[in-house]
Amino acid sequence: MLGKLDWSAIPFDQPIPLAAGGVVLVAILAVLIWVVVKGHLPYLWDEWITSVDHKRIGVMYILLASVMLLRGGSDAIMMRIQQAVAFQSQGYLPPEHYNQIFSAHGTIMIFFVAMPFVIGLMNLIVPLQLGVRDVAFPTLNSVGFWLTATGALLVNVSLVVGEFARTGWLAFPPLSGLSYSPGVGVDYYAWSLQISGVGTLVAGINLVTTVLKLRTRGMNYLRMPMFCWTTLASNLLIVAAFPILTATLAMLLLDRYLGFHFFTNEAGGNVMMFMNLIWAWGHPEVYILVLPAFGIFSEVVSTFSGKALFGYRSMVLATMAICVVSFMVWLHHFFTMGAGPNVNAIFGIASMIIAIPTGVKIYNWLFTMYGGRIRFATPMLWSVGFMVTFIIGGLTGVLVAVPPADFMLHNSMFLVAHFHNVIIGGVLFGAFAGFEYWFPKAFGFRLDERWGKAAFWFTFTGFWVTFMPLYIAGMLGMTRRLQHYDVAAWRPWMIVAVIGMAVLSIGVICQIMQLVVSIRNREALRDRTGDPWDGRSLEWATSSPPPVFNFAFHPDVRGEDAYWDMKVRAQQQSLEHEDPEYHDIEMPRNSPTGFVCAFFATIMGFALIWHIWWMVILGGLGAFATFVVFAWRDHDEYVIPAEEVARIDRVNLEERRSLVSMAGAI
Amino acid sequence: MTDQTHIHGERDLAPGQDEQHSVGERILGYVVGLALALLLTATSFFIAGTDLVWQPSIPVALIVLAIAQMGVHLVFFLHITTGPDNTNNVLALAFGLLVVFLVVGGTVWIMSNLNANMPPMDQIMMRQ
Repeated sequence: MLGKLDWSAIPFDQPIPLAAGGVVLVAILAVLIWVVVKGHLPYLWDEWITSVDHKRIGVMYILLASVMLLRGGSDAIMMRIQQAVAFQSQGYLPPEHYNQIFSAHGTIMIFFVAMPFVIGLMNLIVPLQLGVRDVAFPTLNSVGFWLTATGALLVNVSLVVGEFARTGWLAFPPLSGLSYSPGVGVDYYAWSLQISGVGTLVAGINLVTTVLKLRTRGMNYLRMPMFCWTTLASNLLIVAAFPILTATLAMLLLDRYLGFHFFTNEAGGNVMMFMNLIWAWGHPEVYILVLPAFGIFSEVVSTFSGKALFGYRSMVLATMAICVVSFMVWLHHFFTMGAGPNVNAIFGIASMIIAIPTGVKIYNWLFTMYGGRIRFATPMLWSVGFMVTFIIGGLTGVLVAVPPADFMLHNSMFLVAHFHNVIIGGVLFGAFAGFEYWFPKAFGFRLDERWGKAAFWFTFTGFWVTFMPLYIAGMLGMTRRLQHYDVAAWRPWMIVAVIGMAVLSIGVICQIMQLVVSIRNREALRDRTGDPWDGRSLEWATSSPPPVFNFAFHPDVRGEDAYWDMKVRAQQQSLEHEDPEYHDIEMPRNSPTGFVCAFFATIMGFALIWHIWWMVILGGLGAFATFVVFAWRDHDEYVIPAEEVARIDRVNLEERRSLVSMAGAI
Repeated sequence: MTDQTHIHGERDLAPGQDEQHSVGERILGYVVGLALALLLTATSFFIAGTDLVWQPSIPVALIVLAIAQMGVHLVFFLHITTGPDNTNNVLALAFGLLVVFLVVGGTVWIMSNLNANMPPMDQIMMRQ
């Protein structure tokens, strides 16, 4: 009846996951009860859960990423403490638990923190920057988000029901095969990635279509803001690379469920084929993450330097070059696994070549700052911090791209330090810069600068103190994923790293405090004009938060930095004072399709993990029925009457006029 | 990707979008495509079993027919044309082909290299 599921699945003998799971469960229940008792449920359902508004979906993506960042961060803290104390002893985490933690940490940080954070920012901002009212497929967008949330939910369920994979974040066979991982851990891993992978793929298709097909009048390709270009490149990579991940995990699952032999040692299976395929997805994946971050830095650096982006066209070229070359380097993840000198040399050279367009970008940002009137607001701090950090990460990357060096450093702590250096220094700093920069746009008030700056400095310092020692430990021969060790020379560096982790945690606390303080002082921090940073692109041309239809009129773009251009023209001609003629606007209706689909997908995923076949059929039928109901819908749009549009738009217009006249007076 | 292509971009067609043709013309297009596809399929089956041609040329002929088959599908069923309204579709196809070529070609190269360098234990013994 319940397949493999029984009471032994709940780890009563392991206090840490049980307590953690219990606390989270109680917290979730408390929030749910509070929501129901206070009567917020209808609001939540109508305005958020069923919303197909790209801004709302973007915010929910970022919320999911932030919550999962705390989960992944707790895993990181536990690992750092374990390695600091487990010198000539077993530490406090038993090996099978430690192995689950580092696997969950990697999986969560990549798939459920970095991905939803950048996809959330793209969702929130790209339609605004393009000057359009929504993404190409609004309901599909909601489906994509909820499927991602399903994956995250399944990973967290594994904390209390069953176990998570002990295989590392990419689950290499034969370790992840049935003979060496007979439990449900790898199944949790694979099914949550399969389900959230579908979500990511539809998000990718949606955003590519949005950039290619929905641009406002005059917004041709070479007038698009840099963030739209990097969104295009990143989502092209999603569309091209995620099917590889899906196919590879499907083959692994066939091995595990139906006795196939794709990646087994016997019967003609080839373990190396998994390595090859997973990295053919895995390397483009890192560029999927970092390209949008590059876009964010371009926007931030240009805005806070008060200058147009230096070398815009070279930046576009560099972005697209990275997009293509990222598919030509994947072997550098397994140089040591037996390929010949020709193969290693070619892929080593390709890996070094990809540093060139990245270098072009760094110089462009530096030249954008050069001669500019720089304001060191929090987003700018994250950007400058990124440049310093990312260059070191990039240089160590070029170092491990040299095959002979890689033979020394493969799977060492040096590698761990390298990829944290680029992912924290690149993606996470980018996500935080974007968060600080666009928060006023999303919610209508700024974030507190003092707490923001404190958060930056603690995170920045904490990052360096945590990860530089790992480079040294790697040079001293320490391999990654050690549960305990006996080499005295590594010990001091592990202790420094755990101190760094503490500093990093203070940074996270400052970030939370910043949110709390800003929400309390929101009236004082209110952004009335919609343009708090003196911005240059179209998202600042509408109010904060933008009305559901984004723009009362489709903006008319006449050059790069569309909004800057408008402001300059407005000051010269003084904004025309006659009232424009408003029209009715059609917007897509909210739909519970995404949430209901994800509900059935959760049931199906859970049932597949525990081999509860009747429930699998139930979940599958439910999801399909939801799709059929959606496909047969009659009304999918509603009309906002012209008077309502006028009423909303006039408020913002008044604020802007007063701003322009003030600037004119000066 | 200059201003020029953008003006074309305005009229860009998505796959499945209605084109500026009458129903009759469209049906004719599909019928011609179906006939060509059937012809190429039949030829492939015929060539595979025949001894009328020089035997070593058969694999090459099959590959050529397969590529022609793909072309027929792209032109008659997916409506890829060289017209200015099709820039996005052609670029998407080119990007897809490039990625498939890189991943499949790279995989074949890498895996053959790995297999040559790391044969099973019994083959290593035989070499010595």
